[in-house]
Amino acid sequence: MGDIEATWAILHPGVDQILNRLLDGMSYTNWINMYTTVYNYCAMGSTSGGAEHSGSTSTAMVMGAQLYKNLRSHLNAHLNDLVLTAQRDNLTGVSLLQFYTQNWNSYTTATTYLNHIFHYLNRHWVKREIDEGRKEVYDIYTMSLVAWRNNLFAKVHRPVLKASLKLIEQQRDHNHIDTALIKLVTESFVSLGIDESMSSRSTMDVYNQYFDQPFLEATRDYYYVESRRFLATHSVPEYLKHIESRLAEESARVQVYLHPRTAGPLIKTCEATLIGAHVGVLQPEFQTLLDGERLDDLYRMYKILSRVPGGLNSLRTTFEEHVKRQGLAAVEKIAQESSDAAASAGAVDAALLAIHRQFSEMVQTCMEGEPGFVAALDKACRDFVNRNDVCKSGSSKSPELLAAFCDQMLRKSSKTEAGEIEETLNHVMTVFKYVEDKDVFQKFYSKALAKRLVNGLSASDDAEASMIAKLKEACGFEYTNKLQKMFQDMGLSKDLNDAFREQVRQHQEDQMTGIGGNSDLVDLNILVLGTASWPFTPPVTGFSYPDDLVKTYERFSRFFTNKHSGRKLNWLTHLSKGDLKTNCYKQKYTFLVSMYQMAVLLQYNNGTAFSWEELMQSTEISPDVLKAQIGNLLKARVLTVTSASLLRGLGEPGSTYTLNLDFKSKKIRVNLNMVIRNEMRQEADETHKHVEEDRKHLIQAAIVRIMKTRRQMKYQDLMSEVLTQLSTRFRPKVPDIKKCIDILLEKEYIERREGEKDVFAYVA
Amino acid sequence: MSKIILKSQDGQEFTVTKTVACQSAMIKNLIGDFGEEAEHPIPLPNVTGPILAKVIEYADHHKDDPPPSGDDAQQVRTSEDIDAWDAEFINVDQGTLFELILAANYLDMKNLLDLGCKNVANMIKGKSVEEIRKTFNIQNDFSPEEEEQIRRENAWAEDR
Repeated sequence: MGDIEATWAILHPGVDQILNRLLDGMSYTNWINMYTTVYNYCAMGSTSGGAEHSGSTSTAMVMGAQLYKNLRSHLNAHLNDLVLTAQRDNLTGVSLLQFYTQNWNSYTTATTYLNHIFHYLNRHWVKREIDEGRKEVYDIYTMSLVAWRNNLFAKVHRPVLKASLKLIEQQRDHNHIDTALIKLVTESFVSLGIDESMSSRSTMDVYNQYFDQPFLEATRDYYYVESRRFLATHSVPEYLKHIESRLAEESARVQVYLHPRTAGPLIKTCEATLIGAHVGVLQPEFQTLLDGERLDDLYRMYKILSRVPGGLNSLRTTFEEHVKRQGLAAVEKIAQESSDAAASAGAVDAALLAIHRQFSEMVQTCMEGEPGFVAALDKACRDFVNRNDVCKSGSSKSPELLAAFCDQMLRKSSKTEAGEIEETLNHVMTVFKYVEDKDVFQKFYSKALAKRLVNGLSASDDAEASMIAKLKEACGFEYTNKLQKMFQDMGLSKDLNDAFREQVRQHQEDQMTGIGGNSDLVDLNILVLGTASWPFTPPVTGFSYPDDLVKTYERFSRFFTNKHSGRKLNWLTHLSKGDLKTNCYKQKYTFLVSMYQMAVLLQYNNGTAFSWEELMQSTEISPDVLKAQIGNLLKARVLTVTSASLLRGLGEPGSTYTLNLDFKSKKIRVNLNMVIRNEMRQEADETHKHVEEDRKHLIQAAIVRIMKTRRQMKYQDLMSEVLTQLSTRFRPKVPDIKKCIDILLEKEYIERREGEKDVFAYVA
Repeated sequence: MSKIILKSQDGQEFTVTKTVACQSAMIKNLIGDFGEEAEHPIPLPNVTGPILAKVIEYADHHKDDPPPSGDDAQQVRTSEDIDAWDAEFINVDQGTLFELILAANYLDMKNLLDLGCKNVANMIKGKSVEEIRKTFNIQNDFSPEEEEQIRRENAWAEDR
């Protein structure tokens, strides 16, 4: 049997040396002797027979309880001695920390030794005790930590904490401190977190309770005072920088001497005290920074306020207001500089683009593209794009201007380079995104496109196609369907013309061999345009084809009917034009004229003066149109009017129009086909009217579509559904939707549910 | 590779590499505590020369084994999975076997301890009580009545 007295007598001096004078030399021999003594003591109980070693519990006695107790009391006594020393020397502050950390170091080293030397005890007796569920038995090392906690820590943790916090405060005040002291203290606190129920698992309880919490409180107190003192003497941008450096310092602090899990709560505490408590002071400065375009400070403010919940809310609102104001101001400036709305179209759009670009850059660089700010920018842009000074009349003016701007860009006359066009179109699309009444844009755009195509004014097919592709991407296939059809018609017309010319040539050759002589046909270039796709209305006036044209007209009509039977040709004479070569002057001129002017001028092949009535009769053009056309000819001095007729006024019965045989022009090609300004304005108004009409149809279609799928719906729900469905095109007005519902009720597409208020049902 | 000198009870010295020596958790802890120290021999008062030689042979053979997974609760222990080299190694007379087991226990060499115990288990397996007594030279200190009672109580475990 092991003799505890004898065993401990051997072990005691060694343990003592390890605890107190480890550095004075332990040797392998001492170590092994102690280990062997422990082994012999513990193994004794089971080795007496020399045979059966690993038997069952009942036969093998596992020795160790007494040894464990002896060692524990020895450690306890040792630690109590240390406490007494500290108290006797009245240690405080740094010297207390030095005492604590030095002893902690040597104690943990010593107990690591002891843990190894007593390892046999750990392997058998301790293991068995733990396996059998005994509390408060730990492996030797853990036991030594528990001893430290119960005997030393329990008595000194308050002054140690106080001294540590004091040191940290000194460091925050930018004094140099020995950070290693605090690092050791926190490490020891972490090590002392021993889970009583399961010694192999450590907890953070000790560190949390005796260091972390008090530390965070001290931090709060420190920055509560410090932030107020700083703000009293410094500007907000300076304070922002200060916060930045403080936060960096605190993060570094965690790295150097705190447990990593303090990082989160520490930064949270700092954020709440340094930022959260001062949000009311910081946020108003945002406007000043915006006004000064101080990007660095803006970024700093964004970063700092994004750290606290709700910190950015008011910034977003401020930002939105600011962008809106800037946008409106830019537009207003242009509106003042030029009164001509049409001419300022480009300027307005350019200004809007510049504003958008400026602030979207700001959002990217200073707000890291944060979605809330992107949304605020969008909202502000939508607001000032649709409701600004130039567009006082309503949100439909903006898209009209934008379409006009596109027209300017895409016209042949535009001086912009191809690359620039593409870039500009991209910018246009940015503004387009914000336009609410996309249907208005579509109307005006297709009008302008139609004119460009018919008059051959388009600068480049590529640019046109690219723009249509962009619109398609933005608004879908349906939106650009007609635009694309228009493009296709142009191509088809080209083929058609080629075929027609070929046929005419064939025919002429036949005739050459037969009758011979010249054909009566004129050179014709015709465009066949699908009625549904093109925004053209049939001519308002009658028209009689002059003799020189009638053959060609008939010939082509025949040709087309043969080729496509069942299609009806409507001749858009008001859009047609031609070249006339003069033979009546010394100089030969080419007149570029409208179809109607051509009809009038061709009359003068048969005479030099005609009366109003004669011209009306021969051309069958309605008086209004004829008046305008002749007006142009008079202005160009191709025709003259007798002074007697002048008195009666243009287009009055009996007025006579004479061919001016003295006509002179510097240019050989004379354009007589001037667009009349009045017509343009009228056209725009008409287009707006068309849009109104179309909207009614769109709303009705939407209602029917919705009701067909839902069968039955509440008024409110229907309303909001219609609004969302149409929002990509335009923003319908509630009264308009109401009106459309009434129309559909009348037409019996839908009905009111009996007995139920405000519920509609679909009538199949 | 630093060398370690191990000194047996009877004064024999063995020079081995650190890797081999550290097959013993006890020596590993010792070296760990002292750090790299001078070429003092490590005295092992509980192990005789011949046995230490055997232990070193075993440690040298297994020096490149992967470290034990530590979680031995998951390892199913059977007495059958002894590889050929180990079987040959442990094929020794009973006295040596028990001394090896003791040395392994003292030196905290889990693998060797397991091997020894497995071998003992195999020696017991399939033998009758009398055979086991004979094998291990155990005197029957039960009275016939006691023995009868124990047999009755453990009848359920008998392999019939």
